[in-house]
Amino acid sequence: MVASDKTNGRISVGFHHALALLIPYVRDRLAKQVKSVWLIIVYLILFQTLVLRIGVSDATVIALGIGLVVAGLTVFMEGLLLGLMPLGERVGLKLPQKSTLPVVLIFALILGFLATLAEPSIQILQTTGRSVKAWEAPLLYLMLTNHSQALVYAVGVGVGVAVLLGMFRFYRSWSLKPLIYCLVAGLIVFTAWAYRDPNMIHITGLAWDCGAVTTGPVTVPLVLALGIGISRMVGSQESGSMGFGLVTLASLVPVFAVFLLGAFYLPHVPAPMKEIDFFKTENREKIKPLFRTKEELTHYLLLNATPAGQIAFFDGKPEKMTEYLEQLAKDTSLRKTVFAGDPDGFYRWAAFKGTEELRLIAFESPESPKLLGVNTSAPTAEEFNVLDLLKRNLSVALKAIALLTLPLFLVLFLVLREKLQQADEVFLGLFFCILGLGLFSIGIELGLDKLGTQVGNRLPSSFKSIPLHDQKRTILEFDPSLVQRSISPDGQKHAFFYTKDGSRYVAVPYDEKGYDAASREYRFTPTRGPLFGHEWSLWGIGVVLFFAFVLGYGATLAEPALNAMGLTVEELTAGTFRKALLMQAVAVGVGMGVALGIAKLIWHIPLFWLLIPPYGLLLFITRISSEEFVNIGWDSAGVTTGPVTVPLVLAMGLGLGSQVGVTEGFGILATASVCPILTTLALGLLIARKRKAVLTESVQATKEGSPL
Amino acid sequence: MNLPGKTVCRITALLNRSISKEVIDALREAGVIDLLLIPARSPVMERKRTGWSLFTKGAMSEDPVDILFFIVDKEMEIPLLHLIAEKALLHFPGRGSVFSEEVKLALGHDLCQENRVALPQTETSVHVAERLAGVFCIVQRGNGDHIARIPLESGISVPSIHFGIGKGVRDKMGLLRITIPADKEIIYTLASAYDTDLLMDRMIEVAKLDQPGKGFIYEVPIKRGVINMKVTRGDQHQAASIEQLVAAVDQLKGGAEWRRRSASLGKKGVKKRNYIHHLVDFTLLCDGGTGVDLVKKALSAGAAGATIAHVKHIRPADSPLSALPPVREECNMAVTEDQIDSILSALQGAGAFTDGCHGQVQLRRVLRAFTYFPK
Repeated sequence: MVASDKTNGRISVGFHHALALLIPYVRDRLAKQVKSVWLIIVYLILFQTLVLRIGVSDATVIALGIGLVVAGLTVFMEGLLLGLMPLGERVGLKLPQKSTLPVVLIFALILGFLATLAEPSIQILQTTGRSVKAWEAPLLYLMLTNHSQALVYAVGVGVGVAVLLGMFRFYRSWSLKPLIYCLVAGLIVFTAWAYRDPNMIHITGLAWDCGAVTTGPVTVPLVLALGIGISRMVGSQESGSMGFGLVTLASLVPVFAVFLLGAFYLPHVPAPMKEIDFFKTENREKIKPLFRTKEELTHYLLLNATPAGQIAFFDGKPEKMTEYLEQLAKDTSLRKTVFAGDPDGFYRWAAFKGTEELRLIAFESPESPKLLGVNTSAPTAEEFNVLDLLKRNLSVALKAIALLTLPLFLVLFLVLREKLQQADEVFLGLFFCILGLGLFSIGIELGLDKLGTQVGNRLPSSFKSIPLHDQKRTILEFDPSLVQRSISPDGQKHAFFYTKDGSRYVAVPYDEKGYDAASREYRFTPTRGPLFGHEWSLWGIGVVLFFAFVLGYGATLAEPALNAMGLTVEELTAGTFRKALLMQAVAVGVGMGVALGIAKLIWHIPLFWLLIPPYGLLLFITRISSEEFVNIGWDSAGVTTGPVTVPLVLAMGLGLGSQVGVTEGFGILATASVCPILTTLALGLLIARKRKAVLTESVQATKEGSPL
Repeated sequence: MNLPGKTVCRITALLNRSISKEVIDALREAGVIDLLLIPARSPVMERKRTGWSLFTKGAMSEDPVDILFFIVDKEMEIPLLHLIAEKALLHFPGRGSVFSEEVKLALGHDLCQENRVALPQTETSVHVAERLAGVFCIVQRGNGDHIARIPLESGISVPSIHFGIGKGVRDKMGLLRITIPADKEIIYTLASAYDTDLLMDRMIEVAKLDQPGKGFIYEVPIKRGVINMKVTRGDQHQAASIEQLVAAVDQLKGGAEWRRRSASLGKKGVKKRNYIHHLVDFTLLCDGGTGVDLVKKALSAGAAGATIAHVKHIRPADSPLSALPPVREECNMAVTEDQIDSILSALQGAGAFTDGCHGQVQLRRVLRAFTYFPK
């Protein structure tokens, strides 16, 4: 160190030397990311191929997707550490020094609101909501379709208020515990009240899930860094919170917001009713708020209702329906309005969902639409359009980062009039964040989502038989005389026939509707399972629950926000609370929570029972834990359920839910957020006990020895 | 060597976090209003008798500790040492350590002068040793525990580890600097002056400090202090632990000379190292956020490198020092004697001692140092 060079300027680094520095740097970072992601990837692939024994389709695309996930995460994490977090910390440090409390609080409110709009977490929930049936849960349906923007804004306000409250707490050096008690107690009361209302009970899952998904991978590190900076400047030494607690509040307060929004809309929606009643003319006024126009209602009816419901819509007179359909076939503009601007939608619907009669009206010929050469391929076939993919994901990433950092820059330069230290690193870091997030999103879409959906759809085969829709088979020149009959213990007769599958003879259930006499073809959907024992056997369900546990565990370890949080905790506790330890505790908790959520789906346990007892237990454990661990524990649980866990869990929930027959698949994320708090606080209690024992030991050990 | 500035006494206490609060309150009552705190951790070996322990290295567990330090008049050195030792119950090993060293207060903002304390001279039953030395070892983040084993396994004392950021050659490399991590761990070991040969040699070897970019180690003299010798915890199988025996004999013999280790202990003995002498440890305390810029000025005035650590400024609500922000930074640089004046004037020019930074510079002798330097 004595060899000081008095050169103030730069050291010019040759190209080879630069490479020698860059290569180990990149390699080291990539290795770290691979270490956190490999578990979930390998697990999903192995489970699908070995346990469910179904090949992974689109393997190359998925492999590419996974590669992008790893690359994206690496770049994103680096960007967080270089740019986003130093920026947040700088603003957090300078803000209390140079501005008054009201300014800080307003800033907090705006930041919280923007954070919700910036990150697409709520939108993911909305896609889940598409499977909700309007007559089973009208309020939920309303909030997910017509008033979905209101939902986002409500959650945004909730998060804004939460961040405001959190900042205020630092200034007053309040403990986090009383806030937790009040909020959780209030939420328990709300949940209990909602349990009794047939409409609100379905909002419970949505509300808790919204709270769980707020605070995504960009918001968390930013809010953490801000909180730590502010808490250092204004907090007293005894506060012990060290700047945590904002994420907890941002996960609890929005639940209130969603409940309140639901309560606000409650008087305007009808109670849940049977499908036929829903479409009856008498109830037309009641269901009006759920659809913007009559055409939208018709569209929904045609796509989602059973034939019985459709006929009920037309006053129980099938002729009226036929009349209407004929009108549709003739009037192009009406067709466009009803099918939301899709000119071929009508034909597609008729081909797939219509009865022979309807096809007659639509195509003026009862023959198979295939023969008529109509474009009946579903519009959902994804075209691998690279450019579109890149554009979409990068713009989402840019929006997220820009919406969050712009207010910070504005505050830094205009309000605080501070210059940015090491600006080149910060901007490089932000660029890395955008690039990383974009690549990561593409990877999730191409790889993880697909993989998760595949596994999720096939998963129920472990304990019941499921139809494999994408493996529809056709038997040419089918001979109906081959069909045999069997009888089940309750006296019902079932028809079946044998088909030769490779070298085996497989019994296939026979359905009259699958036989097309004109073309002499039999079309059917093969089923699979149950793989472990008989239908609904405990083994089969056990496999599913175990799968859910490892899914939750593995996905959590890959979460970037939790990584960032772990690093922060390690930094602030001077290394006593290791990142690895925290991540393991949280991951185990999430695994347990996901398994619990899946149990809810399978056995139709009301969410009430899966949330209230754990939260009650939590309140007790919070009471006996130290402030430090309460802050860390609650925050690390709020941080989970991010871009890796949520799509996978939702895919699994959807896949299972549709097979098991539930109204809505919400609630898994909520349970997945409760359990990690339990595990982390339990770990905290263990560590605290050990530390106390250390001190008493040192006093006792000397009592026997000679006095010093 | 003759260093500029007023001679004061710097007292440092490394205490388990649960004890530090009482000590802080006691110090505040005694009149110490300018008190700084660094959160750190102290690793300790766990003694387990399972069969598995034969195969693995000893398990280490880490306790959260607080490093408290402040400067005060020379006369108050012994009363304050005794006060801290009594309050923290340092009779019992494993609770922490406290020590005092002579530093020069070179320059300081008006608010950042030494604490004025008036305490009567006292006696204490805690054994206060003399002829001590402190060893700072600065390595890259992640290697701290590895190095901290050395004083534990040699039975020298319990070290403390805290985090810092390194500034130096790395910052002259433009954006490429992101490939070299700046995060550092600083391992501080308080030891008897007779143990430092062995300690430094082993640390240099394990941390590979003779290779470029691996770190830096230096030794400062300590006037007197109470060492935490409880390097292992766990089941005790004798009537008295080794620490109790050593402490008792130290007290009887009036020092640690009786257990001076021969330089040829160990398989390889102590290598002849090219230590660097005649260095000065230049410590700059300043407001949080200002350290980076000030250090840049110091580096351009001749310092080779610096380590910046976050410190907390502890004060009561109605303290006259409330103008100082609670977040401060301690920047350590190793410089040669002739560089001191130019660095001081560079800092003055940068406004280090104005209300913007509330700076304070402490200087202390470095007995010897070691790092990589190109041939």
